[in-house]
Amino acid sequence: MASSTSVPVAKEDSGYLHDPEVQLMLRAREDDDEAFSQLVKAYQDRLVNIFSHHLQSQEQAEDLAQEVFLRIYRSRHGYVPTARFSTWIFRIANNLASNSRRDRGRKREVAFAGGESSMMGVRPEESLVQEKSALMPTRQLDKIEMQAVVHEALLGLNERQRMAVLLHKFEDMSYQDIGDAMEMTPAAVKSLLSRARENLRQVLDAYIQIHKSA
Amino acid sequence: MMDKAPRLTAEHRDDLVAYLDGELDESRSGQIDQVLARSEVARHEVEALARTWELLDVLPRVAAPTDFAETTMSTLKVAETRTPITDQPWFEYVRRGRVVAVWAIAILLSAAIGFQITSRWVPNPHEEVLRDLPLLEKLHQYQDVKDVEFLQQLKKINAFAEPVGQGGSP
Repeated sequence: MASSTSVPVAKEDSGYLHDPEVQLMLRAREDDDEAFSQLVKAYQDRLVNIFSHHLQSQEQAEDLAQEVFLRIYRSRHGYVPTARFSTWIFRIANNLASNSRRDRGRKREVAFAGGESSMMGVRPEESLVQEKSALMPTRQLDKIEMQAVVHEALLGLNERQRMAVLLHKFEDMSYQDIGDAMEMTPAAVKSLLSRARENLRQVLDAYIQIHKSA
Repeated sequence: MMDKAPRLTAEHRDDLVAYLDGELDESRSGQIDQVLARSEVARHEVEALARTWELLDVLPRVAAPTDFAETTMSTLKVAETRTPITDQPWFEYVRRGRVVAVWAIAILLSAAIGFQITSRWVPNPHEEVLRDLPLLEKLHQYQDVKDVEFLQQLKKINAFAEPVGQGGSP
């Protein structure tokens, strides 16, 4: 966990100094709370959004987002810009999300409402949506139903696939940036996203045609 | 290559996804364009993948509460006054000391176990010498004794009697 916020103690790489967010972080390193507050405002929605879809809990998403900022704030005095700020913060977010899921798994906590299902298993509400759709295969699913279906498909992905998809979809991150955030090679990200897309396609295949004609 | 293959390989699929994501270099992208022009299978695959990706657009954008930044900054200030023990500068020395201590204990334990094993199972070459040490210490005296008769004569003249007032060891 501690390593998630650690930055290599090396000479500052001037290549990243042009990043305005790195500049804000450098000011925060000198105890400029206003600069840090700007970073919080810039990333709060982005983190909460990613965590919400990753964990399927708004409350946990907000807690984890706050934990990300807390870790960065605590380690600010040792900050050395060796990557874009966004890459660094999403690397921390990814590590926290992984640890959070592991911890919850160890504690065998009951999943929150709308919790996980796997590609193999189907939860009651999931089957309810599927039942409705089966009864009326040609009707247009309304937006909420479609959201539920897509959400379930997303939750059916494994943790790494889901995070890669979310970073790519919502943050528009390149394979290189996702790789930096998830500590993978771009080639591995390419393969990961490909498998994720294929898994999504298999689950959502029936809905693609409906959506197409919507 | 793809036009004759009824099914796409994982590598081809990876490339199609990367093609959609604009992650292929110009050369590879051009190759995929040609494949798509020739292969209906590939075109269908790309279309399905693209539509699947579009479906994710229905997911809502979840925003943080309006007071999130304010609450977070307050929390950070409070948390900083209560820096966890593991984040204290001196804790790093404790952590390192703990590692050294663990290693030291492990080494001592290994040495003790090793000693026990070797003393129990490996024969001690000095054991015989130690057993015979009392004899060896007086060997020069014993060598002066030529035979048993000489000893008997010494006994007769009470040569082995201990001096009066001195008890104890021979």
